[in-house]
Amino acid sequence: MSARLCGPLQVDGSLSRGQGSHPWISDSGVWYVQIWVLENCSPLLTVFGARRGTHTQKVPLAACVHVCLAHVSRVQLGPPRWISFLGHVTEVYLVHLHASVYALFHRLYGMYPCNFVSFLRSHYSMKENLETFEEVVKPMMEHVRIHPELVTGSKDHELDPRRWKRLETHDVVIECAKISLDPTEASYEDGYSVSHQISARFPHRSADVSASSYVDTQNSYGNATSTPYSTSRLTLNTPGQLPQTLSSPSTRLLAEPPQATLWSPSAVCGMTTPPTSPGNVPPDLSHPYSKVFGTTGGKGTPLGTPATSPPPAPPCHSDDCVHLSLPQATAPKKEERTDSARPCLHRQPHVPNDRGLEELHGGKGSVTLSDLPGFLGDLASEEDSIEKDKEEAAISKELSEITTADAEPLVPRGGFDSPFYRDSLPGCPRKTLSASSSTQGTSANPEPLNSSLDKSGPDTPKQAFTPIDLPCGGTGESPAGNRERQASLEASILTPSPCKIPPQRGVGFGSGQPPPYDHLFEVALPKTAHHFVSKKTEELLKKAKGSAEEDFTPSASPMEVLDRLIQQGADVHSKELNRLSLPSKSVDWTHFGGSPPSDEIRTLRNQLLLLHNQLLYERFKRQQHALRNRRLLRKVIRASALEEHNAAMKDQLKLQEKDIQIWKISLQKEQARYNQLQEQRDTVVTQLHSQIRQLQHDREEFYNQSQELQTKLEDCRNMIAELRVELKKANSKVCHTELLLSQVSQKLSNSESVQQQMEFLNRQLLVLGEVNELYLEQLQNKHSDTTKEVEMMKAAYRKELEKNRSHVLQQNQRLDTCQKRILELESHLAKKDHLLLEQKKYLEDVKLQARGQLQAAESRYEAQKRITQVFELEILDLYGKLEKDGLLKKLEEQKPEAAEAAEERLDYCQDGCSDSVTGHNEEAPGRNGETKPSRPGGARGGGGGGGRGGGSSSELSTPEKPPNPRAGPFSSRWETVVGEPTSGTPTTVGSLPSSESFLGMKARELFRNKSESQCDEDGLTVGSLSETLKTELGKDSGVEARAPLTLDGPLLPAPKPDSVGQLRIMDYNEAQLEHS
Amino acid sequence: MTEDSQRNFRSVYYEKVGFRGVEEKKSLEILLKDDRLGILPPHHESHVQVMTYRKEQYSDVLHALKVIRFVSDATPQSEVYLYMHRLESGKLPRSPSFPLEPEDEVFLAIAKAMEEMVEDSVDCYWITRCFVNQLNSKYRDTLPQLPKAFEQYLNLEDSRLLSHLKACCAVSTLPYELWFKKCFAGCLPESSLQRIWDKVVSGSCKILVFVAVEILLTFKIKVMALNSAEKITKFLENIPQDSSDAIVSKAIDLWHKHCGTPVHSA
Repeated sequence: MSARLCGPLQVDGSLSRGQGSHPWISDSGVWYVQIWVLENCSPLLTVFGARRGTHTQKVPLAACVHVCLAHVSRVQLGPPRWISFLGHVTEVYLVHLHASVYALFHRLYGMYPCNFVSFLRSHYSMKENLETFEEVVKPMMEHVRIHPELVTGSKDHELDPRRWKRLETHDVVIECAKISLDPTEASYEDGYSVSHQISARFPHRSADVSASSYVDTQNSYGNATSTPYSTSRLTLNTPGQLPQTLSSPSTRLLAEPPQATLWSPSAVCGMTTPPTSPGNVPPDLSHPYSKVFGTTGGKGTPLGTPATSPPPAPPCHSDDCVHLSLPQATAPKKEERTDSARPCLHRQPHVPNDRGLEELHGGKGSVTLSDLPGFLGDLASEEDSIEKDKEEAAISKELSEITTADAEPLVPRGGFDSPFYRDSLPGCPRKTLSASSSTQGTSANPEPLNSSLDKSGPDTPKQAFTPIDLPCGGTGESPAGNRERQASLEASILTPSPCKIPPQRGVGFGSGQPPPYDHLFEVALPKTAHHFVSKKTEELLKKAKGSAEEDFTPSASPMEVLDRLIQQGADVHSKELNRLSLPSKSVDWTHFGGSPPSDEIRTLRNQLLLLHNQLLYERFKRQQHALRNRRLLRKVIRASALEEHNAAMKDQLKLQEKDIQIWKISLQKEQARYNQLQEQRDTVVTQLHSQIRQLQHDREEFYNQSQELQTKLEDCRNMIAELRVELKKANSKVCHTELLLSQVSQKLSNSESVQQQMEFLNRQLLVLGEVNELYLEQLQNKHSDTTKEVEMMKAAYRKELEKNRSHVLQQNQRLDTCQKRILELESHLAKKDHLLLEQKKYLEDVKLQARGQLQAAESRYEAQKRITQVFELEILDLYGKLEKDGLLKKLEEQKPEAAEAAEERLDYCQDGCSDSVTGHNEEAPGRNGETKPSRPGGARGGGGGGGRGGGSSSELSTPEKPPNPRAGPFSSRWETVVGEPTSGTPTTVGSLPSSESFLGMKARELFRNKSESQCDEDGLTVGSLSETLKTELGKDSGVEARAPLTLDGPLLPAPKPDSVGQLRIMDYNEAQLEHS
Repeated sequence: MTEDSQRNFRSVYYEKVGFRGVEEKKSLEILLKDDRLGILPPHHESHVQVMTYRKEQYSDVLHALKVIRFVSDATPQSEVYLYMHRLESGKLPRSPSFPLEPEDEVFLAIAKAMEEMVEDSVDCYWITRCFVNQLNSKYRDTLPQLPKAFEQYLNLEDSRLLSHLKACCAVSTLPYELWFKKCFAGCLPESSLQRIWDKVVSGSCKILVFVAVEILLTFKIKVMALNSAEKITKFLENIPQDSSDAIVSKAIDLWHKHCGTPVHSA
């Protein structure tokens, strides 16, 4: 046992070799802890991964992995001392350790392939670790397939916590299981786990191993990897009316294990099959990989190709198979035998392919093929395993019950047409198969059996449409048969160890002896004849198991090893117990087995603990699976509900379709009616159109008629107008004629009156004639006297007539002349008028001309006036300057204070003079100086005097001088510049008092008023009077000296007659001074 | 008179080339000799006599001024005209050093410009005098309204420019005195001034407005570039002389555009 265990681990050598204590395992407790940790690591990992993500655990994870692997390696290679020390006991630990490391390896690889692989790469690229890799890691790697993440994923992506968020713990476990090739670990859900089927099929072997493995491997591989495809293919291939595909989810929902689908191609083909086929593997093929390759190499490409070949490829093969198989299915039964070989061939490839590991275990014998359970069977059953199996079996049972329960109602619903029909039928056996396969490793053979059954029993449902099927091969029988067969197979092939299956299944179907039943069954169904043969061969192989066991390949799964160990332990235990047949083991042990080794109890306890640990682990796994199963069940229920709903919807759809048809019919009717109506409408429309056309035509005609009528009307109007014109003309004619008539009547009357007159005159003529005759008679009576007289009278008359005529002529001539004269005179008149006008114009012209000239002259005159004014101004200015200069000098002598006043006075005087120049009227106010507003010259006096520079010498003159020259120039200037008026004005004042009276009086009054107003202070009223007189006198200057003489004496003792103005000025100055 | 014939002789040639101003100059000459200003009566018979009157009047006044030593030979002709004018209107100051009144400056400016145009001093004096008299009498009411009219037409022609002026507060400070009282005397060269005054003498003082508007339009870019009212006024008071002929031509076009065809066309 130990040898076998160590074989794959290659611990034997090291175990025997090594000595001394290993630091890790110096204490078995520690060792145990380590194992415990490792064992718990993988579940924890999954939990962590699912719950929290892995970024936090990255480091511990790597460390953990490293430690574990290193540990294992060390245990294996490095220190064998402790092993030797521990002896057999350590092997148990090792097994546990291996199992746990294996589990950890699976978890790590399943969850973090990239990281893990990179870690492995980095770690085992080192030479010192190479050995460890070869010994430990490589075998483990043989149990896993290439993780898809290695292709698609990345290191960082793996560590993304989101990746695990949606997954439950059990989902993670399943994910990991998908990667595993280990049948104990692998999941059967998707197409990943091929190994299981293979392992399951393995026990069956057929003689014709030599069949081409190459094609078949591919086929099988394809089937395994792409279950959905294959299933769909199957459905397509079925001759019946099953167009619907068997979708992979549906299969999943029904918890169909992949191997079931694997079967299906062959089953569909109607080929007798597989179950036996695994048995076909010859003993040589049961060798490890390399050997297999070697054998198969001659026939075709090695197994590598299927592994590398893409999934789509296999389906093609399967298709081919189907093609082949379909005719075979219909072929006579003779051929079936030969046909059955083919399915066997199909299976063959699996053996070398995936079975490699198992083969390593089992060697050439059937034991290797029988997978772990088979191996374990050899190891004998242990309680733990039984319990475990029981649990699992219970779960599977539950599952199967549910699924069958689900499936059964589906059958009637869908009918043969429905996709479920097919599913449900094959589903049942599959479920059972899956249950059995998953639960017990030992029951690996059921599948082959199943396949064989598929040929006969399960196949029939699929071929239900063909006449060949067995109606009884339906739901009920096939599972039962399966199980029976399983049981029988188990019984026959596997060791007689008390496997769980027989009791469980056996009870269920009450088939205590499956072999006979099976045998009968096979006999009854010739299709399965080969099955019988294969079974036989398997039994034969089984006999050779012993030798095969020794050739155990190192690549056996640690889990299997552990299982075996446990089973072995159980077997040993039971054997011992049985042998001893004592109630208490411990007592027996000690009592009968002699003194047990000191550490026996301890090791046993440790083992117990380890087992318990394992149990806990497995229980945890179970719980997870239970969870998952429940979820799957929920899915199933939901799916069924959906199906029902779908059916209901279909019914509704049909109803609706009916409705639609009804509606369509009604629609057609309506359309027909509508068409009719439209036709009617069209006809009506056309009628109406024609009517309209007619009406339009009529209208046009009417229009034309109306136009014609209108033209006629216009013609008539024109005619009427013409007639009217004619009427008018006629009327006018009438009027004219009337007028003429009246004229004519007048004329008539005139003529009548003329006629009357004529008549009257005629009468008178007659009368006169008569008178004349009378006179003639008288005359004749008188005779000659009268003739003379008459002649004389005549002559006188003639003369008189001539005279008158000449007179008339004269008169006429005179008239003519007069008229001529008048005309002449008139023309003269006109001429004169014209002349007058011309004269006027000329006058105007001349006036204008004169006015222009006059204006020019006036402007010139104005200019001249301005010039003279300017000149006067200038002269006066100059005078003023001269006087001012003289006065200033005088005043300087007399009163320096009065100088300024005198100056002012001078200015005023000047003003007065200048005013007097402009006109006589201004004289009086000019004299009164102060009342008159001072002209600009006054203000200019000071500056102007200086400017003209006239008074520079006057300052030097004596005080006596100024009066004289002042008076002198004053008067002289007057005389020179103004000429005549200068002397005239003062004289007129005095000499012509009558003419000057008004002005003089006014001046006097003014002066008086002035003097009076000034005298109220001086009391010089008299003086002032005299002053006024004096001024008059002064002005008159000697022409009249009546009054002044009287007054002159007292007032002015020595006044000069010419200096009256001076005096006045002086007085005025005084008054001014006083006033101021 | 001799010049007149010369100008006539030239004008034929000018007209061929396409100068319009010549004819206007001629028409101004005619107008000046016409009674537009009232210097000569319409009757040719009296022309000689009136002219002698005018000449005598001129010489008298000049003589008077010389007598009172108001003017000397050194006195500029325009000032002489001014004093003569003042004397004739009775407003002669007592001294030549008396400060000038604004209207005197206007007279001076116009007299200066006229001096350039008319060679004979008598004619010059009379034309100046009558021109100023016309401005003071005939256009007394219309001249103050010209700034408003100017704004109005500027707004019509270029409202942006006006808004710019308004933004600079330069509207009120524009050289209206120079433009409308001095009739651009000293602002434009005499050659172009003649054409404007021609219109003014013939009775349209609105031409002044259009000349002002045209000046602004011509120097729009420069005016727009200036931001302060003072600068604008300064610039407008001293505008470059080279484009004055174009300005006047454009102004006349503008005048035609806004006021229709002129009253008289040569």
